Amino acid sequence: MAIELQQVSYSYADRSLWKLTALRDINLSVPLGSMVGIAGATGSGKSTLLQLFNGILKPTEGTVKVLDVTIQAGEKSPKLMPLRRRVGLVFQFPEQQMFEETVEKDLIFGPLNFGMSLEEAKARARQAMLDMGLDLALLERNPFKLSGGQMRKAAIASVLAMDPEVIVLDEPTATLDPISRAELIRLLERLCREQGRTIIVVTHRMDELLPYADNWLVLKEGSTAFQGSVKALADDPSILEQCGLTVPQSLRYWRAVADRFDLTDEAPRLTAESLAELIASLPSGSGNSSEQHEGKRDDYE
Amino acid sequence: MNESYEGQELEGEGQAIISLDGVSFGYDPEHPILQNITLSISQGQWVSLVGPNGCGKSTLVKLLNALLPKGAGEIVVSGMQLSEETIGSIRQCIGMVFQNPDNQFIGATVEEDILFGLEGLCLSYAEMAERLHSYTTRLGINHLLSKHPGELSGGQKQRVAIASILAMEPGIVIFDEASSMLDEGSRNELLGILQDMRAEGKYTILMITHDADEILASDRVLALHGGGLAADVTPAELFRNEELLQKCHLCEPYPWRLARELQNQGIHVDVPASEKEFIDTLWP
Repeated sequence: MAIELQQVSYSYADRSLWKLTALRDINLSVPLGSMVGIAGATGSGKSTLLQLFNGILKPTEGTVKVLDVTIQAGEKSPKLMPLRRRVGLVFQFPEQQMFEETVEKDLIFGPLNFGMSLEEAKARARQAMLDMGLDLALLERNPFKLSGGQMRKAAIASVLAMDPEVIVLDEPTATLDPISRAELIRLLERLCREQGRTIIVVTHRMDELLPYADNWLVLKEGSTAFQGSVKALADDPSILEQCGLTVPQSLRYWRAVADRFDLTDEAPRLTAESLAELIASLPSGSGNSSEQHEGKRDDYE
Repeated sequence: MNESYEGQELEGEGQAIISLDGVSFGYDPEHPILQNITLSISQGQWVSLVGPNGCGKSTLVKLLNALLPKGAGEIVVSGMQLSEETIGSIRQCIGMVFQNPDNQFIGATVEEDILFGLEGLCLSYAEMAERLHSYTTRLGINHLLSKHPGELSGGQKQRVAIASILAMEPGIVIFDEASSMLDEGSRNELLGILQDMRAEGKYTILMITHDADEILASDRVLALHGGGLAADVTPAELFRNEELLQKCHLCEPYPWRLARELQNQGIHVDVPASEKEFIDTLWP
């Protein structure tokens, strides 16, 4: 397992009158090399959960195991420095973590800090820029003179440059344009499938991650409301509504088609392209059976 | 200098409330961000401003209320030509909700934050209390009034930021990707609020967005590309134009995409309004 949480709770200001419990009794297993989506309404504890993954927050109760490090509530933490290199965290507004005078200096700061040579760090920085689809000319630029979307990509690149085994991203695609969003998700998928990295993404745009994630965790008011495969989620998406989320359109259209033809064993088709292919192969939905569609087609012509 | 317009002019029938004539801007003369932009937006319109990351959308709206020093060209807002003398009056007509709500919090509590803007307008206490109540209720944040903005989640912060701007009831409201941090439910609520605002007819809305549903709800789409205005079209025209979508780095709403993919499979359906309608059309 890359990450394992056992009965983890977390409260802010635990020993004060202002105690605020953000997470309650969370059990979670994230297998190595898998891609996991985390969803939940605004304020359901998603961002708090992520900060447990590399020891920024320590659990108030329970045990957090990340790679080979165990952090237990009430006990002294083990050394977290190596863990922080191996688990890269991209925050909600990653551009806020930029501080250097050029993009390149920002990108090599982390790798140098964790002991890479300057050359190696620069090579990693260039690779990370290319992975993020950024022009290498931007390396010389001041990060604060980049556009919002470019800054976000550069900030994500600065985490990739550390070569982490587990990459945790908090709403990475917000404020990116849709094409850049799709590219980022595909990049994450490549990092996961080809390089075996574990990818965890908190998102309120479930649509874009649904076709790729292996498993989902849905939080409601700090507790687990759903944990399981995308197939299980697609079989009964109503759980999302119970958690104050909207069922993504791709899931609603899949459900409608699956219910109409009772496709219980079929893997969910969560992209427009794959659903259209399926529909073309279904009886009376295909282009060949034009007789059934004559009325409709006449309207069109 | 501009690339040719696609589609007709959609300046609307009302009085122009924002007009730009030959506006250019760049931090560095060798890399201009905006070049020779000329456009006009009429009172009461809801306009989406779209384009790829880094194309100058935020720069354009910041020029409108002089958050950035003006370069070449003329800018007229609410009948006032933008200059040193009119900056103050122009800023009073424009409310701006930024990409990152943390950038605009000043109060120690949500309540103070919202009241700060109202105090600046010299309103009576009764009026302030009334607006505070009305806008926090509409945005579903009246249970957060005594909280520190730092205690709120990302989506809650965004709603507070929106409420504090709307409470000032500016004639022009600019949203700079203000819904990007909201979950779909909250985004739908925001859309509802915007639709109410349009129905009231008092507001002109300029929205920088990548969100297909928001674009679809608006009256008109201005697309920026390569520093110029690439298109001035209706949302439906945008979503039917694959080349333009690609150019602006946009995706169409899911039902539109599904209809297009089905077309590729030789199945012709109109864009469905719901999944039920979709099923009933395909398999009557």
